[in-house]
Amino acid sequence: MTTLQSRQDTGRAARPAAPDEEALSRRALSGERAAWDALIARHQRRVVVSLLARGIRVDRAQELTQETWARLIQQQQRGLLTELRLPALALAQAAFLAADDARRARRESVDGTVEDLPERQQPVDPAQSAEKRLVSEEQLARARDALEQVSPGARNVFLLACDGQGLPHAEVASRVGLSVQRVRQILCEVRKKLRTALEEEQP
Amino acid sequence: MTAPTPHLTRDRTEQYLLGALPPEACAELEAHTLTCEPCARLLQEEALLEEQLYEIAAATPRDAVVVRPARWHRPAAVAAALVAVAASALLLLRPGGEAVSPSVTPVEAPVLAAREPEEAPRDIVVACPDLATQEHCLRSASARGLLVYHPGGQGEVPRYDASSGLTQVALSSRPAAL
Ligand SMILES: [Zn+2]
Repeated sequence: MTTLQSRQDTGRAARPAAPDEEALSRRALSGERAAWDALIARHQRRVVVSLLARGIRVDRAQELTQETWARLIQQQQRGLLTELRLPALALAQAAFLAADDARRARRESVDGTVEDLPERQQPVDPAQSAEKRLVSEEQLARARDALEQVSPGARNVFLLACDGQGLPHAEVASRVGLSVQRVRQILCEVRKKLRTALEEEQP
Repeated sequence: MTAPTPHLTRDRTEQYLLGALPPEACAELEAHTLTCEPCARLLQEEALLEEQLYEIAAATPRDAVVVRPARWHRPAAVAAALVAVAASALLLLRPGGEAVSPSVTPVEAPVLAAREPEEAPRDIVVACPDLATQEHCLRSASARGLLVYHPGGQGEVPRYDASSGLTQVALSSRPAAL
């Protein structure tokens, strides 16, 4: 049985996580349910969105997200979790379940039986579930150009909110001294600019 | 069976993905996408864009957006500052009219001016290099009358509304809806 090791972000500046993220992770690893609940609340939306992006229906996305957390908690209870790095671990687990779901649906459509897949019970190594690239190099370059046009304040809000640490909007707001509503407004504005940049004529 | 719900708009879908809609509105939007294929596609497109934004943010080096006042610039220190940024605390300064004397740096460790904006930006984000010097850095900045936000942040963790729904049973009973 493999133990879980999440990928180290090497060669990159530390991303700002919520101030209590590390403490919560430690408590969750020791089995404290309240800590799990707080972490789940913080990272739930990101996991659901990642499943929606795969074209999974919203009801199934929510079920898979719940199953994701249930499995992580189960793994922790079995002593299989040595490190809890969220949201990366939950995203990897959800992607794994989604892929498994799709495989299962295909098998059902072929021979009408549902096979029990022992691999579903196994923990996921996020380092192994290769992350699918969603943005091409050209798109990334255009997106960076577009980000250059944004005010430093707005860019900072965008990076704080979206850089993968699951920093809550309330926490972003508090760090930059703006209201949550204003933070979301800024995020929508940056999003529109980046949408345009991504959609520019494809080669 | 129930009254028809409105189609999704892009704005509303964005709000939904941002977590800005109240629970009833979320439920309505979600229910609608289960019966309306075009809206389900719109939701997927917007969710995919959201994922792309995460990827862009993750691929954007933090150093490239940390702008420090030119007066704090010490050119010899590029490499050291790149390391120092890893443990940085952020503060936000309003550059308008502050008079920082060039002879005094607010921090002991070197600070890198990673990007010089053409025109004066509205806000400038500066980094205090590490925990050891952070307090001194913050004090110096305040002493100069600069607007400083505490790097730790005081935000509340939003209430968790999904925990009651977290069950470990009957989660895999349905076939995929792909
Ligand atoms: Zn519709």
